[in-house]
Amino acid sequence: MRTRWKPLRRALVLLMLLPGRVLAFELADLQDRLNRTEALKGRFEQQRYLADLDTRLKSTGHFLYERDTRMIWVLETPVEDRLVFTAENAADGADEGSAAGTGNDRQRQQVGTLLLQLLQGDWQALQERFTLDVAGTSDAWQVTLVPKAKALRQRFTRIELKGAEHLDNVALYAANEDVLKVRFFDQQPFDPAATEAANGPAIR
Amino acid sequence: MAPPSAESSSHKAAALLRLFAWLWALVLIACILGLSWLVRDGLPVDTRLTAMLPEDRQSRLIERANTQLGRGFEDRFVLLLSSQNLKADTQTLARALSDAGQDEGHDKPRLAKIDWRDTDLIDSDPRQALDRYRYRLLTPELQHIIDQDGGESLVKPALRNLFSPTGQPDPVADPFGLLERWLDARDISPVQASDGLLTVTLQGNPHAMLIGDLAGSPYDIGAQQAMTRTLEEFEQDHPQATLLRSGLIFHAAAGARQAQREITTIGLGAFIGLVTLLLLVFRSPRVLAQMMLPLACGLLLALPVTLMLFGRLHLMTLAFGASLIGIAIDYALHLQCDRAVHGRDFRLGRLLPGLTLGLVSSLLAYLAQTLTPMPGLRQMATFAALGLLGAWLSVVLWLPRMRLPSPAATRRLADTLWRWTTPRRGLTPMSALIGLLLCSALIGWQLTSDDSLRLLNPSPETLLDQERQVQQALGSDTGNRYLLVTAADEAALLSRLATLGDTLDDWIDEGTPMRITNLADSVPTPRVQQENLARVTRLYGQPLETLVQQAGLDARVVERALSRLDDVPVLDVATWLDSPLGSSQRRLWLGGAETQESVRVAAALLVQFTGKDGQASSLEQRLTMLAAEDDDVIYVNRVARIGELLGQLRKNIVWWVAAAVVTLSLLLIWRYGRDTWRVLTPPLGALLGTSTLFALTGIPLNVFSQLGLLLVLGIGLDAGIFSVEHGRRASTWLAISLSTLTSLLAFGLLTFSATPALHYLGLSCLIGLAMVWCLVPWVRPSQEHS
Repeated sequence: MRTRWKPLRRALVLLMLLPGRVLAFELADLQDRLNRTEALKGRFEQQRYLADLDTRLKSTGHFLYERDTRMIWVLETPVEDRLVFTAENAADGADEGSAAGTGNDRQRQQVGTLLLQLLQGDWQALQERFTLDVAGTSDAWQVTLVPKAKALRQRFTRIELKGAEHLDNVALYAANEDVLKVRFFDQQPFDPAATEAANGPAIR
Repeated sequence: MAPPSAESSSHKAAALLRLFAWLWALVLIACILGLSWLVRDGLPVDTRLTAMLPEDRQSRLIERANTQLGRGFEDRFVLLLSSQNLKADTQTLARALSDAGQDEGHDKPRLAKIDWRDTDLIDSDPRQALDRYRYRLLTPELQHIIDQDGGESLVKPALRNLFSPTGQPDPVADPFGLLERWLDARDISPVQASDGLLTVTLQGNPHAMLIGDLAGSPYDIGAQQAMTRTLEEFEQDHPQATLLRSGLIFHAAAGARQAQREITTIGLGAFIGLVTLLLLVFRSPRVLAQMMLPLACGLLLALPVTLMLFGRLHLMTLAFGASLIGIAIDYALHLQCDRAVHGRDFRLGRLLPGLTLGLVSSLLAYLAQTLTPMPGLRQMATFAALGLLGAWLSVVLWLPRMRLPSPAATRRLADTLWRWTTPRRGLTPMSALIGLLLCSALIGWQLTSDDSLRLLNPSPETLLDQERQVQQALGSDTGNRYLLVTAADEAALLSRLATLGDTLDDWIDEGTPMRITNLADSVPTPRVQQENLARVTRLYGQPLETLVQQAGLDARVVERALSRLDDVPVLDVATWLDSPLGSSQRRLWLGGAETQESVRVAAALLVQFTGKDGQASSLEQRLTMLAAEDDDVIYVNRVARIGELLGQLRKNIVWWVAAAVVTLSLLLIWRYGRDTWRVLTPPLGALLGTSTLFALTGIPLNVFSQLGLLLVLGIGLDAGIFSVEHGRRASTWLAISLSTLTSLLAFGLLTFSATPALHYLGLSCLIGLAMVWCLVPWVRPSQEHS
């Protein structure tokens, strides 16, 4: 029996992309904040640093998050890709060229369930696996997550979240010194029901 | 010189007897010392059924495979929990289990480890170990894609992997993520990580999984009780939760519990009955002690000598050794009955021929089995023969020296019994012969046998059902069915395994409900590995350049990636098994195995039937036929094999005992002449009668009922001999009655045991001994044998 943790890493990366408004810097407050966010959409800019090649790969796109329901991640440049994570089926209808998918259904399922758990700000669950550190002020807060398990630490050393009104920056530091940074902008809450009808196709 | 008078010669004999009595005491003291030295590290007991059987080279390999495949299932257990409040309940249960046993002052925890969090099963990264081999490992899907278009269609997914947040790109070592895909194909575990738990889905419901590793043996009673109690308390506190158990410890606990229950009911009942009976007859607790003395001496001789000869004691020997008590007590009973009835007139000399012949006949029956090629049977026979010899020596040398009361009550009892149970007429040889032929015909026509493993398994049905459900949910393979493949070297073995795997995969595609675990799926043959490397080299041509260009990566990446294709090592079995992922397949690899001709390598290919129980027979047949096509492939079904072994054991016992009875008859003819049939009718009549009854009622014969019949034979022979030797004496009849009745109490009551093995042993004893007792009065000679 084996459980792989690449999905968790992915899930965390995705989690970090989620915007949240934080007024005070207690984990419980943060959790309340995140729970209050019904739905959010916005754009992102991702930069992957490959230490081995000393190269930076940049990509951009937009995202959409509905609490308890799903997370849609649409990559626009330099390649097009669309990932949907839901509680039931983590990669629903996405990733058409499945020859491309580097994970199987089971892993996606894991990502999906973990993701949504995380999105609801279930810090309690996170604390089972990570040491959480909250710092800053309500205008510039920061959360650092360090994995507790040795096996996880061998894959990545820490995750940093930064935000103000929303979560603005996520950085994931891999053990091999690769770094994945994502910046969010143009973030705004929306009504999922209305968007479903009006903007749904546009998202796709 | 005057000739020695009769008086002085009897004095001399008495002195000699006294000397022997002392010598016997010395031997026993030596035995006590020897035994205490031999068991200084505990009694070396062997529980392997197969240890009872002859060894041959082929079966040694199967034996090794069986041991290796079974390992890991013994010290481990799995629990599946379903509940409304899964997370909290799982936490509570895990905590309770890891604390189990500590509250009762047991300093060490009962569990070495319990895994239940989703992080508990993370092992070290499998990528590192396989890093350099990845270019030789391609999934069939990738092989196909590259063969089709050279790998152009792999560029787009590789690009996505570089830019999507979930990717883990490594453009130099593995730009197309080959290893990732290969690893994904290896991962077929149904266990998921969810909500911080390990979960599996069973009948559509999520169940939390807890895996416990025991710190000690699953047969440790303390651990069994601690685990069972913890789980029961949990179930009481959480009535809405359901718990499924799987693991040897639960079966062992159920067995131990049942044994305990039966010891307190059946065992205690038999003991009270025995003591009451002997007290009623002899009216003296001292006599009781005297009866037990020869038994103790017999065991004292048998234990150390058997241990010395065989090194370790088989569990079956111990079980059967216990039944020896039934025969050993005969000698003491005959002596005591004669003494109680005849008082001062008692002479050992008069009883000695009967006692001796009784011993010789039983010894012959057992010693015949020491000639069998079956080590276990030899051990059982040696143990029984030594035990009887010890008991006999104690009776003859010691008991006559002990002064005991001979109450009138015993005499009256013997007379009453004689009057009430002596038939007016006897059986004629002709009617005995007709009975013999009739019974034999019925047995030959109707008697069936059953050698299934169920006999050894006392687990209740609910537990077996839970076990099945857990195995089904986990898709785990206990290694029951497998193909054992040998070959001259590793490459040949892998290619043989791969061919077999292809055939079996075809069967699966045709809809045969089964799963296979094949080493060759993980370690391709050297030829396939070479082909894969060629495919990757092709992929690293134009497709790689396109990828690097479209991703905007430095052109040097192509060079660096290509340079990694030089000197790619071939993945061999040892390397794979040492990798974190391969370690779970170690049980499949048997490595170098010696056979008749040369050193060869061997591996097991597991086949798991996933269809309904009872529908496996067609698969069995196909596998057997598949294996028959090739001398180097053997199909093994572990459960069926144990059944076969039991059957072999059973048949061997029959033939050797039959041979012993024939030899014995010659000896009896020499002494009893035309009365021989009178000696043989009680034991053989009881054996045939019991078998006929089994045949008529449809109860199959098995190894345990046969062991019971062996006991019937021993007691029956003693009864027959004494009844012919001293046929007209009430004391002899009392002794025979007591002997069958005590054994009936000790073993016949086992009929009521819920453990199948004990039930059948008891049943054959119950019927057989009752028949011995009924037959003796009918074949008594009209006068004493001279």
